[in-house]
Amino acid sequence: MKRITELIKEKRVYFDGGTGTVLQTMGLPAGRSPELWNLEHPEEIISLHNAYFDAGCNIVKTNTFGVNRCKFDNYRELIRAGIDCAKKAAMGRDEAYVAFDMGPTGRLLEPLGDLPFEEAVSVFADNVRVAAEAGADLVLIETMNDSYETKAAVLAVKENCDLPVFVTNVYDATGKLMTGADPLSMIAMLEGLGVDAVGMNCSLGPDKMLGIIEQFQKYSSVPVIVNPNAGLPEVRDGRTVYNIDADEFSDYMVSLAKGGASILGGCCGTTPEFIAKTRAKTEKLPYAYPEEKDYTVVSSYTHGVLIGGDPVLIGERINPTGKSKLKAALRSGDLNYILNEAIRQSESGAHVLDVNVGLPEIDETEMMKRCVSSIQGVTDLPLQIDSTKPDTLAAAMRMYNGKPFVNSVNGTQESMNAVLPIVQKYGGVLIALTIDESGIPDNAADRVSIARKIIDRAAEYGIKKKDIVVDPLALTISSNPESAVTTLEAVSMLKKLGVHTSLGISNISFGLPRRELITATFYANALQCGLDCAIMNPFSEVMMNTYYTFRALNCYDKGCADYIRYASAEGNGTIDSKPQPVSEGSLRSSVVKGLKDQAVSFAKDLLNNTPPLDVINLHIVPALNEIGEAFEKKKAYLPQLLMSAEAASAAFEEVKKRIPSDKTDTSKAVVLATVKGDIHDIGKNIVKVLMESYGFTVFDLGRDVPPERVLSCAVENNCKLVGLSALMTTTVPAMAETIELLKKSDPEIRTMVGGAVLNQEYADMIGADFYGADAMDTVRYAQSYYGTGSE
Amino acid sequence: MIFADIKNITAPADAVEINKNELALRLKTDRDFDVTLLDKCRREFDKTVTYKCAYIRTAVDTPHEGICDFGFMSVPSRDLYKNLRGCKEAFVLAVTTGIAVDRMLARLNIVSQAEHFMADALSSAAVESFCDYACDIMTRDVSCVPRYSPGYGDLSISFQKPLLARLNACETLGITLNSAYLMTPVKSITAIMGIKTPEDKK
Repeated sequence: MKRITELIKEKRVYFDGGTGTVLQTMGLPAGRSPELWNLEHPEEIISLHNAYFDAGCNIVKTNTFGVNRCKFDNYRELIRAGIDCAKKAAMGRDEAYVAFDMGPTGRLLEPLGDLPFEEAVSVFADNVRVAAEAGADLVLIETMNDSYETKAAVLAVKENCDLPVFVTNVYDATGKLMTGADPLSMIAMLEGLGVDAVGMNCSLGPDKMLGIIEQFQKYSSVPVIVNPNAGLPEVRDGRTVYNIDADEFSDYMVSLAKGGASILGGCCGTTPEFIAKTRAKTEKLPYAYPEEKDYTVVSSYTHGVLIGGDPVLIGERINPTGKSKLKAALRSGDLNYILNEAIRQSESGAHVLDVNVGLPEIDETEMMKRCVSSIQGVTDLPLQIDSTKPDTLAAAMRMYNGKPFVNSVNGTQESMNAVLPIVQKYGGVLIALTIDESGIPDNAADRVSIARKIIDRAAEYGIKKKDIVVDPLALTISSNPESAVTTLEAVSMLKKLGVHTSLGISNISFGLPRRELITATFYANALQCGLDCAIMNPFSEVMMNTYYTFRALNCYDKGCADYIRYASAEGNGTIDSKPQPVSEGSLRSSVVKGLKDQAVSFAKDLLNNTPPLDVINLHIVPALNEIGEAFEKKKAYLPQLLMSAEAASAAFEEVKKRIPSDKTDTSKAVVLATVKGDIHDIGKNIVKVLMESYGFTVFDLGRDVPPERVLSCAVENNCKLVGLSALMTTTVPAMAETIELLKKSDPEIRTMVGGAVLNQEYADMIGADFYGADAMDTVRYAQSYYGTGSE
Repeated sequence: MIFADIKNITAPADAVEINKNELALRLKTDRDFDVTLLDKCRREFDKTVTYKCAYIRTAVDTPHEGICDFGFMSVPSRDLYKNLRGCKEAFVLAVTTGIAVDRMLARLNIVSQAEHFMADALSSAAVESFCDYACDIMTRDVSCVPRYSPGYGDLSISFQKPLLARLNACETLGITLNSAYLMTPVKSITAIMGIKTPEDKK
């Protein structure tokens, strides 16, 4: 029998319909796992598969949807029995295939959930190995409502067998997965991973899927699967039924087939009758295998960004070159700074964020993984993974949620040999630098030749031309006056060849005064030559001016709507907005009222004629004490206290800029953590912001922190004051465990605890040195510990 | 695979009026507390939230004192038993504000603790308010005892697991549990709400 991937090239193929809902009509009690019947009632499962094959389907899904080692200890047995049932039904039939059916784990992956990505891959891998050995013909990953978990499952299949892999996701009526992905982003990621067919199943009826199929037809180069429900469940005459019958269902399936679906079947509520009628009405319709689509797409877990046409902005701010604050943040592992840069660039209008964390003294791969995961936790922009180390690229691409930009490969054999296999495996849009063993050519034609060489070589790995974006290299005009002209010529030549381009725009002005002026004009020239992507600073007003005006002038901005919004500064203009005029008040009153921007302006003004320490001691600290006392006397509320603390911190940052770094007081420090198992960190964060506003150095370990990590942080930083928080009664034992470990290792360590479930009695019982009823309480204790107190 | 007896309720953001008392409780303020930043948080929350509810109506059996059997799970809990006294049926429900709210909170957690605190309080009050909204719809023709959630009293939080599985909440609502039985999206509620029998009504 030919592989299913061959059959689908010739004709339309049919899946079976619902399993669980049919088994319920056969006596499976509600709430009982259908998969248990593989062992308890194999004859029923075989008869179900037979009924579907008899109805005309080519592929039956094994009754293994919910089976994995997280849910069933005997998962191997259940999988083998499930595949055995399906194979028995397929035996002796033509064009009858057994799809090993794999559903979600039921757990959410990190960073929002607690299932590590590699653990998810391992759970699926265990399933796949058993299924491949048991003789499945293909793997169907189905009913996935999270792009990240889908990726984990696909990797598990690809790494553990050579079976074809089909994927269907659950889209809602808005055309998105539960965790936010649209069809374009899913298609981009899944095709990049080498999936053989993509599509949708469950949740919606065929009528609603009609609204989504268009996007699949437009973007997918692999066959599209449509396995809808029989509409929605409803109660009729006391009986629960689905509201679309087989006749209506099959009529919709005709429209879906005409709309581009190559593989048709059903999900909940559908029965063999639905499949029989669907096949009867669609098998004679003209059929064509999907054409190769020519879209270049990078994606995140929510959306794709199309390259070619409307210019794409790639934020350059997460790259340590020439950025001392970022370097310091990377060395200390302070992700907050990096995440802030990510969010600010996103708010400034970047479409993609470049992430480069290369510093000689840090473990670049580990830091890259941490950054990619954390940045994806706070922004939905696609990322450009930027490293000179292939190992770092591979590790980050593996755990990236989506289809990333990959920066970069160059024309040397060494680079191509190392990077191309990684892109082949994980998928991505690859930046190709026009440099090779001979260096950077001084003319455009030779740079284009290198680009051609890379594109040809990539094709040997199955990487398509559309997935290569060439960077013909912008070199500073301060050392080579012809540099800009050469680069622009190369951009034009590549454009004519149908190759997309990207430039690290800012390099052009290196070494010159008022660099932005040169950079922005060069950017305008490059856009005119057809540049598709620019790695640039989205905080730069002149650069954004160029971007918006170019779009308005070149028909990328309908009715100049974006330009008007930008120019009138109501929308996503640059966030480096000018300081608001300060008319009334003072630094002290601004802090008390929690007005951050005003506090910064007043601090800047004051610093012109006041020593920095006086600004702290005579203005900021008294303001904090005023609001702190008001809070303690219940004359101010917690939100106001927080707003004041933030205003104070912002003013404090201004002051710090005027104090030489060796004079900064880092002696007052505290380690803060929400204990293991607990994900509620709001109380801890309140304490943190307040302590920072009082000038404490805070080592914030986040939430769900194991005791050992708290200890190692305290030891590494020689910090003897540790604050722990827990919200749930179930996680208080973890707090006790942490305190015990800290005390055992260093009796000098003082522990402060807080959280909704704690009280003085409980705190005493678990050996804490201090119980903080609220954040101010904790600040006062820390002050007394360091012998500072309020002035 | 979905069980056909599960029903769903959704609502647009503007249909759910956030209960002022719930909000004040979480903000730790009085009922009329208002600052510009809170309005900003509210606008952002409204743009982000996707309210969803899944519920079933199921029989309750109380074979022994302190045991409540729902068919798909048998729960040892004296508190729940007391709560459901006299009820022969119950609604079992889960509601959520959706994963995008978690992402919003994660972002605000980096950007501003003041905004994060207020948005968190708003989200908590909102999920409670939406739960009330959904309960109002499902109890149109019946009257119910107050709803009761795993983790309260002696009702173990571990019962989140069978409850969410029965509601197919992972697939229909996107609710998952971590190893400590805490839910993601974090602003989610599970509950059992006993339906008073006609005699009780009198």
